Amino acid sequence: MVVTERCVGCATCMLVCPKDAIRVEGRAEINRELCEECRKCMLYCPLEAISYVTPELTQKS
Amino acid sequence: MRIAVVGSGLGGLLSAAILSERGYEVEVYEKLPFIGGRFTSFNYRGYEISTGALHMIPHGSRGHLARMLKEAGARVEIIDSKPEGTALYNGEEVEVRKRSFPLRSKLSFALFCLKNRFREVRLSELERRLDDFSARFLRAFLGWSLSITPEETTLTKIYPIYRSTLELGGPGVPAGGCRAVVEALAEVVESNDCKIRRGSKVRSVRKEDYGFSVHLEREAKAFDVVLSDIGHEETAKLCSYRAEKCEPSSGIKYSIAIKQPFIEHTGVLFTLNTRRISGMNQVTNADPNLGKGHFLMAHQPMLTSNVKFEISEGLKDIRELLRGYEYEILAVQSYSDGWPVNRAKAGGEESVKTPLKGLYVVGDGAKGQDIEVEGVALGVEKALQEVETLEF
Repeated sequence: MVVTERCVGCATCMLVCPKDAIRVEGRAEINRELCEECRKCMLYCPLEAISYVTPELTQKS
Repeated sequence: MRIAVVGSGLGGLLSAAILSERGYEVEVYEKLPFIGGRFTSFNYRGYEISTGALHMIPHGSRGHLARMLKEAGARVEIIDSKPEGTALYNGEEVEVRKRSFPLRSKLSFALFCLKNRFREVRLSELERRLDDFSARFLRAFLGWSLSITPEETTLTKIYPIYRSTLELGGPGVPAGGCRAVVEALAEVVESNDCKIRRGSKVRSVRKEDYGFSVHLEREAKAFDVVLSDIGHEETAKLCSYRAEKCEPSSGIKYSIAIKQPFIEHTGVLFTLNTRRISGMNQVTNADPNLGKGHFLMAHQPMLTSNVKFEISEGLKDIRELLRGYEYEILAVQSYSDGWPVNRAKAGGEESVKTPLKGLYVVGDGAKGQDIEVEGVALGVEKALQEVETLEF
């Protein structure tokens, strides 16, 4: 999961994350160790500021 | 008449509920999986942490929102704050009443109002004429209720808000918090056989001979009227016309779990000797179900555009205010740009009308002249009057 520039830090993602993997202070930061990529944060983000990058895509880049 | 509502924030749901009660066929589209926008909450570690608004209604059970919730048939209990507010000034808590302010400042204020009621004079001009307590209170009040500073606004914009606060009184807490309000409205909409479609993003709205076509990912539907709860700018994008840019107000909210109560009453505690924090309320005093322990919310406006810096200043205030208390900061939430405190800076009344007949904007992008959700209620009232004058 990648947090983009659009994030304003409203923390809706933190409130809905089932793994408590997100911390927000001005901007969301996702803890990769705890994140299970359920994508709930992405769906609930009011600003569409979180995107999902597949492992294949990450490898290519 | 068929009416589409784009966005299920407070403005959208309040409109939808009242219209569905009046017998109109209403359909609400919400792009997110949840309803309520910035006026709802999620249970986070045992506390109802709101997505935006503080769990407060500015004029409580006597306000415009309360009146319109009643009209919508939404069952919401509002617990009026008593006292309405206190102020923490030089280490002492004093009740905010007319007589808390020195006579000289009251006279300066009256004179200032008389002289400048019809002129664009910044409130910082007034601030300079007041004693220290009154000046700091003015700043804290604007920061708490509107997330703005005296430099950012003028007397003509604030005067109607001042009048309505005198007339309608101070705040209240809705039992169950903001979420209870939007859920009660959604219940009304759905009990009238109207639909609320979550996770349905409207891609575009087109003007047609018969009215409007509303286009989603894979379907389009015909409506006579469209109410948009996403602000003028976003509405213009949906409908491909141009709208003027609207300056939003930004701010930061802190949700704090605290072991011993910090505030003894259900009202607002304005903090006058701080860098940033304007005020706090301990919402569990009004409704213990809002948290598993005492739940304190604090708010500050943004004085610079550097969010990290603003938060560090706010946190310094909180450390000083809560010295000696055992507490934990559950959430720090900042609001700006596309998810602001207010889409239109308070006082700057925006019209509900758009260049298209039959398309109206509701919500905090088209507020009437009052504080936060009270302004939203007034805007909805105006939009509904417009709808009623349309002939079909």
